[in-house]
Amino acid sequence: MPGDHRRIRGPEESQPPQLYAADEGEAPAARDPTRLRPVYARAGLLSQAKGSAYLEAGGTKVLCAVSGPRQVEGGERGGGPAGAGGEAPAALRGRLLCDFRRAPFAGRRRRAPPGGGEERELALALQEALEPAVRLGRYPRAQLEVSALLLEDGGSALAAALTAAALALADAGVEMYDLVVGCGLSRAPEPAPTWLLDPTRLEEERAAAGLTVALMPVLNQVAGLLGSGEGGPTESWAEAVRLGLEGCQRLYPVLQQCLVRAARRRGAAASP
Amino acid sequence: MAAGFKTVEPLEYYRRFLKENCRPDGRELGEFRTTTVNIGSISTADGSALVKLGNTTVICGVKAEFAAPPTDAPDKGYVVPNVDLPPLCSSKFRSGPPGEEAQVASQFIADVIENSQIIQKEDLCISPGKLPEVTINEETALAEVNLKKKNYLNIRTHPVATSFAVFDDTLLIVDPTGEEEHLATGTLTIVMDEEGKLCCLHKPGGSGLTGAKLQDCMSRAVTRHKEVKKLMDEVIKSMKPK
Repeated sequence: MPGDHRRIRGPEESQPPQLYAADEGEAPAARDPTRLRPVYARAGLLSQAKGSAYLEAGGTKVLCAVSGPRQVEGGERGGGPAGAGGEAPAALRGRLLCDFRRAPFAGRRRRAPPGGGEERELALALQEALEPAVRLGRYPRAQLEVSALLLEDGGSALAAALTAAALALADAGVEMYDLVVGCGLSRAPEPAPTWLLDPTRLEEERAAAGLTVALMPVLNQVAGLLGSGEGGPTESWAEAVRLGLEGCQRLYPVLQQCLVRAARRRGAAASP
Repeated sequence: MAAGFKTVEPLEYYRRFLKENCRPDGRELGEFRTTTVNIGSISTADGSALVKLGNTTVICGVKAEFAAPPTDAPDKGYVVPNVDLPPLCSSKFRSGPPGEEAQVASQFIADVIENSQIIQKEDLCISPGKLPEVTINEETALAEVNLKKKNYLNIRTHPVATSFAVFDDTLLIVDPTGEEEHLATGTLTIVMDEEGKLCCLHKPGGSGLTGAKLQDCMSRAVTRHKEVKKLMDEVIKSMKPK
């Protein structure tokens, strides 16, 4: 990176060996389009963070930590009508600051640390999806920091990060209306354009379109939606969203159990 | 009541333990925390390792790429280490460009690699024309253009680091936790090689140490090296050859 004197620099240009390799010719195996990969979730593993969660779904590994509430620099004056339930007025509501990081060894190609636009877009998507679930009115003039670290990208990274972030917030004891569960989808290219739930990295790379849905399962409300690509007619997108929402509902019991176990562990550690 | 005292007077609270020759987490002054090593967990990286020392957890990944060699050393490759301390690890760190601690750590790792000659840069040369670069390192596998066939990188030595902290200019403790480092008057890190050779010594300021104490630290570092080397050998043996 020109002028980046804070990091040890390598050569100016470098190419991954994949460019020179003979074509792999690995086509993703045919599979049931509605299958969800088994998920391993664990909350409360970082001792220094207020709340933390680790989520592993197939090859995707995400670690998320929550810290705060901390005071926002530059206080704002109050004003405006108070929200329902005795919450602070709109101008005094708390803020959620999300940070999404991709480890340099997470993808097929080495990604230098200042990830640029993609990381910021995903961080914004995280924030937009988590805001409806968190009762920010209860944290006036404070900010909650959520940071997600993607250790390995095995497909549907944003969905995994969303779920991990919601678990971490719940583990931190932040007041929420509901958990947020994320699910990724991708549309296989012609000649068989079907929407596949929870794609692997190989399927995502060859996809014509991709979609990530975030759902609040108990309230049954969509918290966030991010999609791009050539998806075909609108009915196809509507069907994809429905498929994604079903996937989120199926994932919910696993996350509930994970939080119960974490609470039990914390209780056992605190009692003696 | 103890928790209150700890918050108000952390140093006094700590000194009371030191007087009895032990520490708040129950360790002796010369005892290390449980170390766990795990390799090969990240499949997208050419090589990866996860090390836990008590609560400190570090994950390291290696990626190899092709690059043209520098003109002043046409038969050498690059080893580019970088340490990233995200805001996940501690509330001290903010998101954004690497702060001082991260830069110091990156430079330290670069020095250790350089001094201990873990990887000879000549080994990384495929032909005096193209060679691979490695970012963030530890265990590795070197890929040739045929991705199915991977060779293991020739690791010459296994340097192991031991850290110490100095209290009140006199008392020396081994393997300090984050809180202990904060309260200490000085810290010291020694990196030892297999034949008992010193690779690197890092002592950023802090209280002075007599020569005798320094020798004592080095002998402890040698014993620690043997323990950790045993652990690493077990782990590498259990790794299935690809």
